[in-house]
Amino acid sequence: MATIINCTNLGFSYNETRVLNGIDLSISPGKMLGILGANGAGKSTLLKILCGVLKPKTGKALFKDKELSSMDRRDIAKCIAYIPQDPMFAFPFTVKEVVLMGRAPYIGRFEFEREKDRDIAENALQAVGILHLKDRLINEISSGERQLASIARGLVQEPEIMILDEPATYLDVKHRTKIINILNELKEERGISIIAATHDIFTSLFYFDEIVILKEGKVLAQGTTEMVINSELLSSAYEIPVTVKKENGRVFVFPK
Amino acid sequence: MSTNRKFIISISALFILWLIVALIALFTGTYSIGLLEALSNTDDLTNTIFFQIRIPRVLMATIAGGTLAIAGAALQALFRNPLASPFTLGISGGASLGALLAIRSGLAVGILGFSLVSISAFVFSILTMLFVYSVSKVGGVVATGRLLLAGVVANFLYSAVVMFIQFFSNFTESLHTLRWIMGSLDVVGFDTVWKTLIFVIPGCAILLSLTKEMNLFGLGDDVATSLGVNVRRMEKKIYFATSLAAGAVISVTGPIGFVGLIIPHILRMILGVDNRIILPCSFLLGAAFLTAADTVSRTIISPVEIPVGIITASIGGVFFLWLLIRTKKEIIV
Repeated sequence: MATIINCTNLGFSYNETRVLNGIDLSISPGKMLGILGANGAGKSTLLKILCGVLKPKTGKALFKDKELSSMDRRDIAKCIAYIPQDPMFAFPFTVKEVVLMGRAPYIGRFEFEREKDRDIAENALQAVGILHLKDRLINEISSGERQLASIARGLVQEPEIMILDEPATYLDVKHRTKIINILNELKEERGISIIAATHDIFTSLFYFDEIVILKEGKVLAQGTTEMVINSELLSSAYEIPVTVKKENGRVFVFPK
Repeated sequence: MSTNRKFIISISALFILWLIVALIALFTGTYSIGLLEALSNTDDLTNTIFFQIRIPRVLMATIAGGTLAIAGAALQALFRNPLASPFTLGISGGASLGALLAIRSGLAVGILGFSLVSISAFVFSILTMLFVYSVSKVGGVVATGRLLLAGVVANFLYSAVVMFIQFFSNFTESLHTLRWIMGSLDVVGFDTVWKTLIFVIPGCAILLSLTKEMNLFGLGDDVATSLGVNVRRMEKKIYFATSLAAGAVISVTGPIGFVGLIIPHILRMILGVDNRIILPCSFLLGAAFLTAADTVSRTIISPVEIPVGIITASIGGVFFLWLLIRTKKEIIV
């Protein structure tokens, strides 16, 4: 099967500290891929390389056979959306203004958004269920709603891949479930590939089609959730003993 | 309302406001001039005052107010902090010292139409900006406390050097410097206006071309990059353009305070935070504000002209205090 992202021997270091080392990874389109690993395993760095924000120090990251680090940034933005762990909003933009910023790669330097862009933004807000918040200020809504606004912002980029760094970490169980369901819908209905780093191994692992486990900057395992999620690998990744149970085709993980 | 319509309406309204203020300013002053008098060319004195003093002065107020306000708005976007401005960051102080050093060392000459005083002011303002930015940025984020402290430190250092120069000046030079440091729009003839515009036009044009990137930059470095912005290049352009434009203005007018802080703030309260609207509107409202403040400074105790910097600093000081109190929960770290 064709791959949408292909990494070979990817390495990255911040100053002298090596964060990623010899990562080989291929990601198929239209899947939901989860990236697991303890804090400092290199998840965030890997995601930033996959969306072109960071350039790898060694190796290559290919998006459909094109090297990401040599692609035009705006072209990348039309294909890959990035939603960070803790989005910053330095100024009190309205929710709709934030979402419209996702149209930036389609709008020229001295242009404003057109009617079409505004429709796309409203549709995206509708899709994540916060259309009623469009005129509220981004810093005055809850963190769960902010995360949904960020996803809507990513959605209006009309991406083929959406990359999310721990999209549900700070959220309660209701918003967590909502977000994972929305991501699942985006995958099913729009064919968007989802790549998400997650710490949430206890509740939502069964949504992912594939899992990559990172440990100390290296790929510990990659495969279908069925294949990869077992107590041996997870205990090694997180350095705590865990139990894995499978029930009705779903996997559940518990700390021992 | 769509951003497009909001842009057109606010730009037009502010342009009309500026026009009204400018017209009032042209015909107000110690020496009163009527419209017909000015144009009918009857009397040499009237003519000279109107064309060699009033018009250049209103133009200078427009350029200076507009530039300081747009520079303030751009710095607030760059530092992601509403308390940034040429004055609070010490950039005005740096530009003043640069200009003063050039004047005192006899470099007040032009090369190919570029004034060395402006160039020296530009160099000092860009150095100050780099200093403040590197000191206040911790782990990729600008800390408000460090930002303001760095500005205070820069201002102290510069005023120490200025006082040192003052100490060794004779009385006339000293008084001249003092009046200039208070900020004044006392220009005669169009020469200064053109020489300032050479720097101000490209500086403001660069800033206006970056407004969309500034918005995206407000979502953080990574998101901005992922949306197609070359963040490092944008930062460098803002350093360069604000130093160029604000440096040139300050080298002529002295450090007129707080315009760059107040104007973008007032506009954000009314129009929201979209930089595509805030930057051009800041220029127009800054222009109208400083023209009005200058008219007040020329007429309040006529025939004595008090430096306009005193007016803007007293309005601005109160405003800044109010901002600090109002926003202390959110932004003062």
